[in-house]
Amino acid sequence: MGEMSAVGLMGGFWSNQPVRVALAVGGCAALVCAVVGLSTVMRRQAFAGHALSDVSGAGGSAAYLLSINPLFGFLGIAAAAAGLMEWAQVREARERDLLTGVVLGAGLGLAALLLYLDMTVRSVSGAAITVLFGSMFTIPTSIVPVALAVAVAALGASALIFRPLLVTTLSVDLARAQGVSVRTTGLIQALALALAVSLSAMTVGAILSTALLIGPAAAALQVARRPASALALAVLIGLAATWGGVALAYQSYYWTPGHGWPVSFFIVMLIICAYLAASAVASRRAGAPAAVPLSGCQDH
Amino acid sequence: MMDTRDRPRWRWLILAGLAGYVALAAGCARQANNGPPVAIGVESQYANVLSQVGSPYVTVRAIETNPNTDPHEFEASPAVAREVARARLVVENGLGYDAWIEPIIAAVPKPDRRVLVVSQLLGLPADTVNPHLWYGVRTMPAVARAAAAAFAAMEPAHAAYFAANARRFDSSLAPWRAQIAAFRARYGGTPVAVTEPVADLLLQAAGCRILTPLALQLAVMNGTDPAPQDVAAEQTLLRDRLVKVFVYNQQVTNAMTASLLQLARAEHIPVVGVYETMPQPGYDYQSWMLAEMQALRAAVAHGVSTTTLGR
Repeated sequence: MGEMSAVGLMGGFWSNQPVRVALAVGGCAALVCAVVGLSTVMRRQAFAGHALSDVSGAGGSAAYLLSINPLFGFLGIAAAAAGLMEWAQVREARERDLLTGVVLGAGLGLAALLLYLDMTVRSVSGAAITVLFGSMFTIPTSIVPVALAVAVAALGASALIFRPLLVTTLSVDLARAQGVSVRTTGLIQALALALAVSLSAMTVGAILSTALLIGPAAAALQVARRPASALALAVLIGLAATWGGVALAYQSYYWTPGHGWPVSFFIVMLIICAYLAASAVASRRAGAPAAVPLSGCQDH
Repeated sequence: MMDTRDRPRWRWLILAGLAGYVALAAGCARQANNGPPVAIGVESQYANVLSQVGSPYVTVRAIETNPNTDPHEFEASPAVAREVARARLVVENGLGYDAWIEPIIAAVPKPDRRVLVVSQLLGLPADTVNPHLWYGVRTMPAVARAAAAAFAAMEPAHAAYFAANARRFDSSLAPWRAQIAAFRARYGGTPVAVTEPVADLLLQAAGCRILTPLALQLAVMNGTDPAPQDVAAEQTLLRDRLVKVFVYNQQVTNAMTASLLQLARAEHIPVVGVYETMPQPGYDYQSWMLAEMQALRAAVAHGVSTTTLGR
């Protein structure tokens, strides 16, 4: 009987249009974030990735003011900020964190102003929730093709620099010796990061988008021993968390009658679970002679 | 580092400044007592009714007047506190709609100020879901009568004038009530979709069946994440043309309401734009409500959209 009702409850899931849009856009975001997140974590740029997604919130807020596609808003600011941070090229980690923190603060401050203007000038209701925490079931259908294009661009950029980036991450000198342009690689990576962050911000919101960017990659790097398996695992975790979150949010409608829980909450919780599970697996293995963990690569 | 010897001087300066401020404030308050008493309607529609009852013997101010702003997300400014400090009567909607005014009222106590909470005036329980009371047929006549009584206590010499105005206001709503009754008789049971509960009381009075899930209306009103089931249900109402009219709140919009509006237009479902606060200029409460009712009738009878009430 339990099975019967479960089937009945999920009955409208696949034919539900907001769910389909959420699965499509969320799938793009999860895929791109897993791929780009991997190099972000390996290059120890998690904080920069977080700052970028927060800053992109200003773009999402501006999009309402300008009546443009919010994805373009997120993307515009994220690309500008990523370019700026890559251009500044601060070598020392401490200084890089400070610069990133300052940019983050400025971006969120700008978002606060733009959200205020959204509400007072454009009568946009709930803009703050949508921009900062995501509102997957209200994403307009028209965003799907744009999201697909952004995903293809991000994956293309990542594929282009996969080898050189891996070498650069291991050793800058080795990369130079092999004829890799470190500067170009970094710029393309920054662009891919901006694309990933804007897709993620569209899905789970500017504040939570780090979770999708960093979480699956960090979990995968704890257990995977080779780049290829880390990549596959990160993609798997990202997609499972995002689509599982959508399914759980859909289900939650029947837990508290008539009130679905926010989908962003479920996605982030599933990512945390995956991370904890990966940690448990990694610590179990700790006794055995382990390969050099990928996340422990030296910072250049 | 600040020199410690400077401290006492600073303290005196601050004290002097405070004293000056208090004196100034007291002066302002005295000055205010000279003119006609001030009444505040927190939303422009309440202010409009107050003005129709009390003017010119009462000066009426509104706080929320911008029809392009979402009143649910209003933020008070220091200027609002100044207005409240002078007021002898404050009319607020209640039910959490304008809860931000209550700490301001409490912060500037004034023994001879009356606060009229419309939801309490109507005897509604505190957990009433739809706070948009001014779309109800019996709301504003009750507000007008209560305002007349409050004004009579402030300016007893004009008590008869206020009472007559309240009666005149009530009878000036007769055409609106007649139109609602006529609509109900002819088009009662008309299925409608809405984005937000703003005009629900009027639609119900007109006998419309509101098919939009209440949870979706509340999600739009409160700016929370709607459930996909409710979004899909609303889309089905429009796509399968299960409704005759799409009632669209002009002041509470987001990406989803915009895409619903697009869908309604694509399916040639007539759209009626409704407002949270009184559209200005050119409208008073009566003509606003009449215009909304006429727009609803035009939509149902002739399939004509009235998206905005600009004049």
